[in-house]
Amino acid sequence: MNPLLTFVVILIGFYGLSTSSNIIKSVFCVTIIESGVILLFLNLGNLDGGVIPIIGDALPVGGIADPLPQALMITTIVIGSTVTALALMLCIKVFHHYGTVEWAEILSRESGK
Amino acid sequence: MGNLDMLSLTAYALQVLLIIMAISIVVHKNNGTIIILITTFSLITASLYVINKAPDVAIAEVAIGSAIIPLIYVISISRQREFIVLDKAMDDFIIADNAFTGVGYVLLKRFTDFYHLELNICNDVRLCSLGAGRDQLLCEQTNVDLIVTKDDERNVYILKGKASSVLTYKLEAMARDYDNIEVVKFKDRDFGD
Amino acid sequence: MIKQLILIGLLGILFGVFFVSMQDIQELYNTFGKDYIAATGFADTGSRNLVTAILLDYRLFDSLFEAGILLIAVSGVIWISKHESQEKNAQFMLDKFKTPDLFVTFSRLVYPLMLAFGFYVIINGHVSPGGGFQGGAIIATAILILYYIDADKDTNIALIVTIEKILYIAILLVASLSLVSRGELFTNFFVIDASPDTKAIYLVLLNVMIGMKVALGLWTIFTAFLKEGR
Repeated sequence: MNPLLTFVVILIGFYGLSTSSNIIKSVFCVTIIESGVILLFLNLGNLDGGVIPIIGDALPVGGIADPLPQALMITTIVIGSTVTALALMLCIKVFHHYGTVEWAEILSRESGK
Repeated sequence: MGNLDMLSLTAYALQVLLIIMAISIVVHKNNGTIIILITTFSLITASLYVINKAPDVAIAEVAIGSAIIPLIYVISISRQREFIVLDKAMDDFIIADNAFTGVGYVLLKRFTDFYHLELNICNDVRLCSLGAGRDQLLCEQTNVDLIVTKDDERNVYILKGKASSVLTYKLEAMARDYDNIEVVKFKDRDFGD
Repeated sequence: MIKQLILIGLLGILFGVFFVSMQDIQELYNTFGKDYIAATGFADTGSRNLVTAILLDYRLFDSLFEAGILLIAVSGVIWISKHESQEKNAQFMLDKFKTPDLFVTFSRLVYPLMLAFGFYVIINGHVSPGGGFQGGAIIATAILILYYIDADKDTNIALIVTIEKILYIAILLVASLSLVSRGELFTNFFVIDASPDTKAIYLVLLNVMIGMKVALGLWTIFTAFLKEGR
């Protein structure tokens, strides 16, 4: 059941991405989708329970949660933050070039030439 | 066993809360409020990571999402409200009688208030000493939106802006009433070469 | 309006497809991978934290080049924010409104603790939750607090980026050492029969280097933003 609820978050992010009128809003929605994808990976690695994947001398009885998705997602968070920073820096440049951050106005200026 | 049920109940409650936060981020109009919402969103996801047996990922999310992400959003949103004017004329066009009462300042203030922008006038000595031939380069390389210069022979103030910017056209429409102000647009070149 | 209804319909179809595929997940799902890692992970890599074992040993190739993507993104931010003529001093919004004294005092108190916690998370990455990526982010946040204390602090971005590039090359070299000692690329450079305590030396070394690299990268990014925010 948990992966389904997480998938709803991703779909809300997609909805916001397609209806947002403003560049900053689109970047926010990309952040939502990213968090949803990370949570979905962790949900799927934790389907049949288990403990935190840090082991002592003896193996835990109930098994462990899958450590592979967790290892992939740690790098995703750090990379995601820097990519967000790159997108926002581009936003500032776009504002000072076009004078606006609304998608509709930028597209009409581009096609008007 | 009751302990485990409590944990999964918390997980469901947090997931529903996460969906509510996501919807409120998508429907909100004010970008400043969204920053607070997105910080809350990332804290809720961090607690869900712990519940999903991933403490490593939760530490990374808390460290990144609590300070660095809000900071870069705050700065980029505050930068998108600014209209930067470089004052090269340096006479009573902007500052008259030691106060911001010059005719140019009144025009620019009216313009920026109308479009909900923040007027930011700078007169950096190093930039002002550059020749008039480099004005276009200056406009493209830096974030300056408008350059104020004066034509002494005709006694006309010239406002130079980018042709690509919507704001330059709006300013031109507004400055049509004034006799001694004219707006010049730089010819557009390729962006980012 | 009709556009939004179509959009919601399409997203509903996506949700339906996901729902149907989740019904069969028990047939696709297996536990061979995590059982193997749980059984042999500690003996193979010397790391009690199996996430660190995967990041720094089993799948080091992935981690290395994701650290490379970090470097590329940092270079992109600096290239975009580069100003040909430096018109602005590195001040930012905070000095328009003076930082409250209470906040400054509290930041001075918290800053060394955060720095120490960051190093703790990095160094203990192989026995407890943590590691290079997380500890680097915590150290970067601690450095950010330094800017609240002294708003006029100026940083030499070019030097930081140079150190980051050198560190990245050093990480690649340390990861490639195993080609000499083991005959395999990108794994632990101690032989496979070495005791877990010996192998931990490699884990701590690589964690510290990755942590420094991530901290420097994030430091560069928010310095670029603070300069932009003058």
